[in-house]
Amino acid sequence: MPIEFRLKRQPTVPLEAEVLTPDVVCSLTNTEIRALTVYHGKRQLPLGDFFDVEGEKCDDLILHGALNKVRWVGRAMSQGSITIHGDVGMHLGSYMKGGRIDVRGNASDWIGGEMKNGFIHIHGNAGGQVGAAYRGSMAGMKNGTIIIDGSAGLEVGMRMRRGTIILGGPARDFTGLQMKGGTIVLMAGAEIRTGAWMNRGTIISLKPLPLMPTFVFTCCQIPVFVNVYARHLQQFGIRLPFAEKEGTYHHYRGDAAVSHKGEILIWQPAQC
Amino acid sequence: MGGKVTCTLGEVKQRADFIIYWGGNPAECHPRHFTKYTIMQKSKFLPRGRKDRTMVLVDIRETKSAKAADIFLQIRPGKDFELITILRALIKGHPVGDEQIAETGLSREAIEDLISRMKGAKFGCLFFGMGLSMTRGKHMNSAALLYLTAEMNAFTKFVAMPMRGHGNVTGADVIMRWQTGFPFGISFNRGYPRYNPGEFSTVDVLVRGDCDAAFIIGADPGATMPQPAIDHLARIPTIVLDPHVTHTSRLARVHITTAPQGIAAPGTAYRMDELPMPLKPALKSPYPTDEEVVRRINEAIAKKSFWLPDGNQPQIVATK
Amino acid sequence: MLCITGGKVYDPANGIDGAIKDLCIDDNGRFVASVSGGRTIDATGMIVFPGGVDVHTHVAGGAINFARAMTPEDHRRTQAFIRTKTRRSGLGGMAPTTFATGYLYAGMGWTTVNEAAVPVLSARHTHEELADIPIVDKTTLTLMANNEMMMDQLELGEFERAKQIVAWYLWAAKSYGIKAVSPGGVAAWKWGSDAKQLTSPIAGYNKLTPGDIVTNLARICDELGLPHPMHLHCNNLGAPGNISTTIDTLQHLEGRRAHIAHSQYHAYGGDGWGTMCSATSQLAEYFNTHPGITTDAGAVLFGDTVTITADGPWQHLLYKLTGRKWGNLDVENETGCGIVPYTYRPSNLVNAVQWACGLELLLLIRNPWQVFLSTDHPNGGCFWRYPEIIQLLMCADVRKECLKKLPDSIKGKIVLPEIDREYTLSEIAVAMSAGPARALGLHQKGNLGIGCDADVVIYEEDPDVLKMFGHPRYVIKAGEIVIEDGDIREAPHGKEYLVKPARDPAIDEFIRPLFEDQYTMSFENYPVELERLENPELRDCIPVPGT
Repeated sequence: MPIEFRLKRQPTVPLEAEVLTPDVVCSLTNTEIRALTVYHGKRQLPLGDFFDVEGEKCDDLILHGALNKVRWVGRAMSQGSITIHGDVGMHLGSYMKGGRIDVRGNASDWIGGEMKNGFIHIHGNAGGQVGAAYRGSMAGMKNGTIIIDGSAGLEVGMRMRRGTIILGGPARDFTGLQMKGGTIVLMAGAEIRTGAWMNRGTIISLKPLPLMPTFVFTCCQIPVFVNVYARHLQQFGIRLPFAEKEGTYHHYRGDAAVSHKGEILIWQPAQC
Repeated sequence: MGGKVTCTLGEVKQRADFIIYWGGNPAECHPRHFTKYTIMQKSKFLPRGRKDRTMVLVDIRETKSAKAADIFLQIRPGKDFELITILRALIKGHPVGDEQIAETGLSREAIEDLISRMKGAKFGCLFFGMGLSMTRGKHMNSAALLYLTAEMNAFTKFVAMPMRGHGNVTGADVIMRWQTGFPFGISFNRGYPRYNPGEFSTVDVLVRGDCDAAFIIGADPGATMPQPAIDHLARIPTIVLDPHVTHTSRLARVHITTAPQGIAAPGTAYRMDELPMPLKPALKSPYPTDEEVVRRINEAIAKKSFWLPDGNQPQIVATK
Repeated sequence: MLCITGGKVYDPANGIDGAIKDLCIDDNGRFVASVSGGRTIDATGMIVFPGGVDVHTHVAGGAINFARAMTPEDHRRTQAFIRTKTRRSGLGGMAPTTFATGYLYAGMGWTTVNEAAVPVLSARHTHEELADIPIVDKTTLTLMANNEMMMDQLELGEFERAKQIVAWYLWAAKSYGIKAVSPGGVAAWKWGSDAKQLTSPIAGYNKLTPGDIVTNLARICDELGLPHPMHLHCNNLGAPGNISTTIDTLQHLEGRRAHIAHSQYHAYGGDGWGTMCSATSQLAEYFNTHPGITTDAGAVLFGDTVTITADGPWQHLLYKLTGRKWGNLDVENETGCGIVPYTYRPSNLVNAVQWACGLELLLLIRNPWQVFLSTDHPNGGCFWRYPEIIQLLMCADVRKECLKKLPDSIKGKIVLPEIDREYTLSEIAVAMSAGPARALGLHQKGNLGIGCDADVVIYEEDPDVLKMFGHPRYVIKAGEIVIEDGDIREAPHGKEYLVKPARDPAIDEFIRPLFEDQYTMSFENYPVELERLENPELRDCIPVPGT
């Protein structure tokens, strides 16, 4: 039986609750879980002050409520699952190593920040710095998958090294900033400066993108890996076009400010 | 990946034969900058002063500073990041298309001339202002210039410096760094300093309504911050230390009038190049200094029970 | 008042090598023959050392503060000090914050530190930072070897005037001694070049060579009678084959006192990165035959750190090699500094040679009074890792284990595998305390004799050297117990030592017009006011004749 957490009192300042992770609660009794420490601003309080908790000793967690001010949920988790019915605050699944997070609502900034592996699915919108490196770090997410059905903010995938980010809605500026590897799929395009200073890695956009001046058009083609990748994404219900009769991809290389080893693919439907 | 290549203003005064102001208007905002540090001074290395120096102004509009410039490059609004990125590519010999260059509002000739002057300089200095750092792209625009500067050192000596202003903002930055390791955007809620601009920076904390009290020294956020931030300051107990009545003091619950720094209160101010300058007050004030007020508040707090129960230490949010 | 009884005392300054001896401390924080009353620490079964003295470290000022801002990723993963009723919060790591610096040094038994690079222009900042480093006593060294006003006088052959200028600067900085970094090299860097040869004129000068600066500045330090001789960072740091520059530099110093900083970085053979090898035997031989000069190891430990040095050109090279972050700060007329985060890896042949070189110097220089423990914090490794070096010095088998991690291609490039020497406790006490204290001219430090400062570290005797030196049982600073069982008990303010060398008052008026021409602040505002120092203590200057 999954453990259910229901927010019973709205925090007035951010509530830091990195204990809300399967690795911490999976071996604890209900009483022990309610006694875990959370930080309401500078005050240390028991988790039970904010949440009704049902169940125990399980690595599947279900959270209910408007958790906009609740931060660090699923931090560094390596197993199990977290399902959130409602919105959730910053740093969801940051440093995550494995397991799965589903948010049936919106999420804030730094989802999957510097994550090593695992799966995050946001059914609503997300904030900025999805899968990004924290300030000063050399690399963002190292592996894993983040799917966001809605929109996302600034610096999505900043300095990411491997892994996949898929955005159903539009992203704002600096998507794939200083990317070092991995793949970002933009189903609905992005605002400006996509792929700025990227060293390596791939950005695929199904909608036209304003490109940085330092990207160079190379060819029209459907690279073989897109075919493979599209099949891989089918399991998540995502359809990446790869049939020649449907259109082609415009292939750009950049960023010339740093190297020419990154690539951006922009889908061109056949009739155009 | 990051960093800053800079110098003190005396180095500019003595050596810089090539100066770029980017997104700033020193003629009106830092009126002594030209005469004291940058273009007007003579030195043993630049004996003819202004004649030995070239000054370029990059901005989206022709400000009064343009008159002082040898070359004024008017670029399209919001194209700073793109232009700097083009420069980073071109200095390395990576080609960029004509169409792409034209979008910045400059011609290829103008950009190539700029690059040859930059590479030909003996000592180049880039000053950047809020027209760069506070417009779309923000910290990444500043980062772009800092990268460009670092990379220019493969060809010649080049440094960069932000045009900071408004009181002792540099001093706050310097002291926060030695006491906490971080310049701003710091939270102590776990009992030790943590840093995340965007999460802990003042404007973001206020806009999101993440704090339930505010203590403000040497700043007037009520005049400069977005409306949701100002609304939150009015909602919560806000305490202001300021010699003057300000927008913030008007909405604060408590305003303690303090002696003005440098005029009636001594101390140290850090210049934009991070050099410490002693403040020697010329006048006496009936009001206490900021330092004295803060010390007395601290003493009063020390009499209360400690914020942590005995033997109860917060957990550190480790990254690994 | 405090008594420490029954401990095994290592006090090399007084020739005491592990004798059971009681120590008495009066209310002024000094050793006395006897006291009545007060606390007694029963140190039976424990080891008693004089508190550690770091002869060369970078803990305060513009450069380390620049490094702090550049490394938030390190702050996030490092040891955090949580605020308590008696302790400020802070962060450890590669570039610790000020409060943490004091706690970390005291936590491993070090009670005096020498901040080895202060530009006069930002000395006010350095002193303000030092005031925020609790517990330890402090000295500072002023950067002079690239000071253009002094160099201009030396170019003109005006030695006496150059000396007066140095005296003026030293008092303006409220500093304790003189540091020379890559003489002429930093000045040349301001034009993007370097000074690698001691006998070639420096960029911007017709005659003046780095060698001239070395010789003259050492003489100035002696004639001004500074308690610490010229503290020299030689030219050509870190470059393969730089041993010739180093030996050449030492020959320029014949007949003078000198302290050679972080000599590990100056003891390489070969002619490129591929052929780089240890030349420590040659350097150690020089020290073994010249007992008047001292050095600190500048040892390298594998792991992450941030390199900070006034050697700007080297840092630009390191930035290009690593492709990581680079900070640079040139200071008008005086100096500059570069900052590059760096990771020393055992698998990297160059790093492996560097690691071996530091230990080789410590082991090959026979007299422990000549070579001291240092990592040139944070350049070769962080100061809080000193216990690791102590373990490597005391345990040949630990060294052998470490050697196994080095690449096979290291064979023939280092001599460490052939060295069996193991430091004794007494030798460690010299290298970490008594030796550096003597070299710094701090005769009341590193010494458990009557009248000296009661800075003491007490260890539980343990065959695990790393554990023993990493976790002292007690640390006593000026008679006050500051660390007990791993906890910080008190965090008092330390002292700051400085000197006021005699100078001709006429020099002020000579300097004024030059100053107003070259600097960007007013002449009157430039010298640091003595009141800016927390607990300043003036030390005497006694001129030293050349030999």
